[in-house]
Amino acid sequence: MPAVDSVSSFHGEVFQTLLDEKAPAWSSNPDFVVVWTRPEGVLQAFRDLLSCSRVSDQDLNREVDSYAAALLRASKRIRAMFVPTWVIPPFHQTQGLLDLAASGGAARALMRINVRLLESLAGAPTIYPLWTDKWIQLGGPAAFNYRLWYLGKIPFSNEVFKAAARDIKSALRGLSGQAKKIVLLDLDDVLWGGIVGDAGWEGLTLGGHDPAGEALVDFQRELKALTRRGILLAIVSKNEESVAMEAIAKHPEMVLKLVDFAGWRINWRDKAENIHALMNELNLGLDSAVFIDDSAVERARVRETLPGLFVPEWPSDKRLYPRALLSLDCFDRPSLTEEDRQRSRMSAVDRERKRSRIDLGNLEEWLATLNTRVRVEELNQANLPRAAQLLNKTNQMNLSTRRMSEVDFDAWAREKTRRAWTFRVSDKFGDSGLTGILSVEIDGSRARIIDFVLSCRVMGRKIEEAMLHVGINWARAARVQEVCANYCQTPKNKPCYDFFTKSGLSCRDGNMFVWDAAKIYPLHSAIRLISNDGSTFEKTSADINPSESIRVDDHLRESEVSADLTHG
Amino acid sequence: MKATREELLDIIYQCLDGLNEQLANTDQIQKSMETPLVGEREGLDSLGLVNFVALVEEECARKYGIAVSLTDPSPHEDDRFANVGRFVDFLFQRLNNNLL
Repeated sequence: MPAVDSVSSFHGEVFQTLLDEKAPAWSSNPDFVVVWTRPEGVLQAFRDLLSCSRVSDQDLNREVDSYAAALLRASKRIRAMFVPTWVIPPFHQTQGLLDLAASGGAARALMRINVRLLESLAGAPTIYPLWTDKWIQLGGPAAFNYRLWYLGKIPFSNEVFKAAARDIKSALRGLSGQAKKIVLLDLDDVLWGGIVGDAGWEGLTLGGHDPAGEALVDFQRELKALTRRGILLAIVSKNEESVAMEAIAKHPEMVLKLVDFAGWRINWRDKAENIHALMNELNLGLDSAVFIDDSAVERARVRETLPGLFVPEWPSDKRLYPRALLSLDCFDRPSLTEEDRQRSRMSAVDRERKRSRIDLGNLEEWLATLNTRVRVEELNQANLPRAAQLLNKTNQMNLSTRRMSEVDFDAWAREKTRRAWTFRVSDKFGDSGLTGILSVEIDGSRARIIDFVLSCRVMGRKIEEAMLHVGINWARAARVQEVCANYCQTPKNKPCYDFFTKSGLSCRDGNMFVWDAAKIYPLHSAIRLISNDGSTFEKTSADINPSESIRVDDHLRESEVSADLTHG
Repeated sequence: MKATREELLDIIYQCLDGLNEQLANTDQIQKSMETPLVGEREGLDSLGLVNFVALVEEECARKYGIAVSLTDPSPHEDDRFANVGRFVDFLFQRLNNNLL
């Protein structure tokens, strides 16, 4: 996590700062802002209400709406804006029965203005509300600190600010694609209590009327919930695989089933070695994983051998496992897409797919059996959230590793000389969802591939070539002489470099790959390319150079490939 | 029970630890008697000083059971934040006057 340098606005100048883009707080061109206000500080009507004056709902609503409008306006000039919800100190909630009264109840009004604000901000792509109540609870009885308030107009204790800082850091990790993607789990005394090799699955502690057993079931439930947020699970355990598998399959209290795990290494080899192999198999970087093990020795060994891996300290008391998992603030994501919800299932499907590849052996034969369909769509409002998510978190097959907000990416792609497409991949095993992004920019007689992003889930299945086919076809329609791709090296995107070195594009100056636009870039015969909008390629070429556009049908004839571009 | 200078220095260092948790590595406050608490180029900024004072007041209240205000204006004690050593003296006098 890079260090964060902060600039604060002047005290009491919330609206001025939000509305005036020349205000000093904006001069440093910040990457993100936190707009954390007290409701009585920005809403005169709420301040009146706290002093027991009569305030109409309309007045309160109008002020909330004005504040929301100022936030929305300011959010357009920033990549991310965090807006903590409003809270008030307990001494404002001492009217007893009147706290929640329909008329004049401060606590009731607080709930209402928070909901109204959240609803007003919903849909704003760069605004992320944060839940202040959680920080207040973590701050304990002294969360509202009156000494600090009267000394320096600081409303909360340091504990509250620490909790807030943890959440904001976690959010920033999520926004910059650094959130963890997978949890690697030990089995004995982690997923269940006891040693399965000794006790047998019937003798394990899991569920039932037992404090540790109940806690372990809750722990598994929380892990299962993570899979619904797009976090993968995997097993790394020193055990006999057949014995462990039997326990997972047969124990009636197991919440997690085999299908919930993206992969496993259950054997007697060194765990660090197993983790390395497993992460390679799953095409994931070590720094995207969390390793949970009850053994301090194993944790130390893995921590020392694989320094990029996150190995949290783990409690010895199993009743604390659920809390320990929930306190890991490393899984934050800015949004939850259907692909996230389905990731665990897709991973199981992928395991099936890989097994079929082993059965068939020959890559070409295997590809031909997959019946792969690639649906191409131009970037649009419907696919933008998932496209931005993919752009911001993909590391390995990523040509330039640009990180951009939805708004910025959308604005960038709207320029007339640019196009961005998304790629959805499916095959006979299932739907992998939106897994690819390509963007191309025309620059004189040259087209430049700017973004070439593909999820590791579908790498190596000729989708990369299909993307180049689409981008180069579009560039050819614009009558460019060459199409180039400039590889920007990062610590993680060597797979992208490896692909381009074998792609057929000629390498120039080490990192520049060039294709002669006089030639068609072929599409692999096993790939069926589908367009949601048959006119897409024709329209885009006309935008660039109306007098020289070529028709989509011409593309297909010229390419002499078996791509089936289904119109409509 | 009177507070000793050693106890008060422990409290001050403990509060500086609390502050340092929130400061960047380059801005850490050294725990020594000569460390300035305020100054044009050294010491704490205004928010840091407010935090520090509040922490010390809370710790004194917790340990000795008395409320003490360390920011009351006093013409003879304007240099109370000059450095840690001076602040220990100030705190010692202020606290023990209250404890007597």
